[in-house]
Amino acid sequence: MSHISIFSGAFGSGKTEIALNYALERAVSTEYNKVFLADLDTANTFFVARDAGELLGRAGKKVHILAPRRELAQADIPHLPAEILGQLRADNEIIVDLAGDKYGALVLGYLSPYIKARAHYEMFLVINPFRPFYSSLDEVDELRKLLEMAGRVKFSGIVSNPNLVEDTSLELIREGHRRVMGFAGEMGIPIAYLAVEDRFYQELYSEYGTILKRIKLFLRPDWIKGLEEGKKDG
Amino acid sequence: MDRVLMKGNEALAEGAILAGCRGFFGYPITPSSEIAEYMARKMPKIGGVFVQAESELAAINMVYGGAATGARVMTASSGPGLSLKQEGISFIAEAELPCLIVNISRGGPGLGGIQPAQSDYFQATRGGGHGDYHTIVLAPSGSQEMMDFAIEAFELADKYRIPVMIMAEGTLGNLMEPIVMREPVLNKVDKPWAISGCQGRKPNIINTLHLGSEELENRNLHLANKYKLIQAQEKRAESYLVEDAELVVVAFGIMARIVKKAVVEARKRGIKAGLVRPITLWPFPDEDLRQAAEHARLFLSVEISMGQMIQDIQLALAGRVPVEFYGRIGFTPNPEEILQEIIRLAAREGL
Repeated sequence: MSHISIFSGAFGSGKTEIALNYALERAVSTEYNKVFLADLDTANTFFVARDAGELLGRAGKKVHILAPRRELAQADIPHLPAEILGQLRADNEIIVDLAGDKYGALVLGYLSPYIKARAHYEMFLVINPFRPFYSSLDEVDELRKLLEMAGRVKFSGIVSNPNLVEDTSLELIREGHRRVMGFAGEMGIPIAYLAVEDRFYQELYSEYGTILKRIKLFLRPDWIKGLEEGKKDG
Repeated sequence: MDRVLMKGNEALAEGAILAGCRGFFGYPITPSSEIAEYMARKMPKIGGVFVQAESELAAINMVYGGAATGARVMTASSGPGLSLKQEGISFIAEAELPCLIVNISRGGPGLGGIQPAQSDYFQATRGGGHGDYHTIVLAPSGSQEMMDFAIEAFELADKYRIPVMIMAEGTLGNLMEPIVMREPVLNKVDKPWAISGCQGRKPNIINTLHLGSEELENRNLHLANKYKLIQAQEKRAESYLVEDAELVVVAFGIMARIVKKAVVEARKRGIKAGLVRPITLWPFPDEDLRQAAEHARLFLSVEISMGQMIQDIQLALAGRVPVEFYGRIGFTPNPEEILQEIIRLAAREGL
């Protein structure tokens, strides 16, 4: 049954990493021989899903990235991958990484009829409450309305992604998630899951149970880690 | 909550606002556009001015005008935009107007690409436009420094009445890192030279035309003396494991962080490597390099360019130690390839 999962969220909410992780997870359990990950983050050119394409390919993952062609990947021109309409009309499983701004809204509006024609669709709002501009309900709700109205589709769930990357701590996750739960309650959208890096998973599992999902950061350059002394994992 | 997650570009913009900057004039260009976007969003809420100018030329001349009133103002762009702004920067330098100019750098020449680069080093450190002048150039290497240096830049600009440039690679502008918010700067610097309404006093005139030979020379001597003072007082660098280093790597900005990792790995392999990271690209911290040269048999300049800072290293060392170069453009060298280069050079030199 053709399935589409759209991940959107404010600039810097972590939606690309969340979408990548989700695609890898689905690649294992999908009924198709692979899943598609569509990079529709047209406004961004740094640290985007297409950067991970080669990495996934090398690892033999069954994730096919739909992204601007190689020579256009760094073209700095907002454009969609050419195959997107064809794949949206085919029987397959697609995960979408969508910019959470007016550009994303434009893309979502354009693709809306194709998305709604699929047997199953779900749309997730990724929230990191430690990002400026998206730390209050008003700001998050404004973005939600922008995307929902343009796309004529409703968000089906919230992905809570409270983090300060290398400086994340258990306490910070707890505090951030409380805030995200507050937003979710006010907007009347259920929490789909709480995303945490692997290093926090064990400790938090007893508190959060099955809404907890472990993620790996693929786009974080490795030279960032490991030099700053005195930074703890917990 | 004292910490937030910010992109380098956002951190820089917020830092400028904390420093009291209330005027942003710019024209968007990747990878600097988040600065303009942040300012467009925030300036109207805090009584500031955001203008998306019709061109880079207009933007830099708005900075010229804004700075002349004594306000803290800034612009931000990337390589091609900075090239267009050079005329205005020359005027601002001669008029001795404090302001902040940001280059979130990308690869050139020409339109080049949007990949991070450090190939605007010459443009930044040699003045860039016409005439005998310099701007102070700060090179941050993380999001926190993007904020801290923005504040520092305005302080230095006012102290010396000079345009200050922050040059950071596109990667840094777009890299998300946790940062600690700084306190707003509240003390106002007295600017008796500013064009701020001349009721009850003689008008201030800001002018860069000096037709008389003597006047022209005196202006240039005045600026040259100011630059000497800045060179004496403001050179900054960070040295890492250089005390006994036989191979000293020099890198700035984001490259310094990447090199640091390679230096740590080289040490694990018994190679006495060290790092000097120039923080001010102008004035260039030549004394820190000479200090690091004490036990050094070889220097290595690692740049995201075809080799520009290497010239300043050679000038600083004045032939005492040979200087090698490793650089790429379009790609940012990773720790592993720098380590391989260190190993190769160490083997060649018997270090």
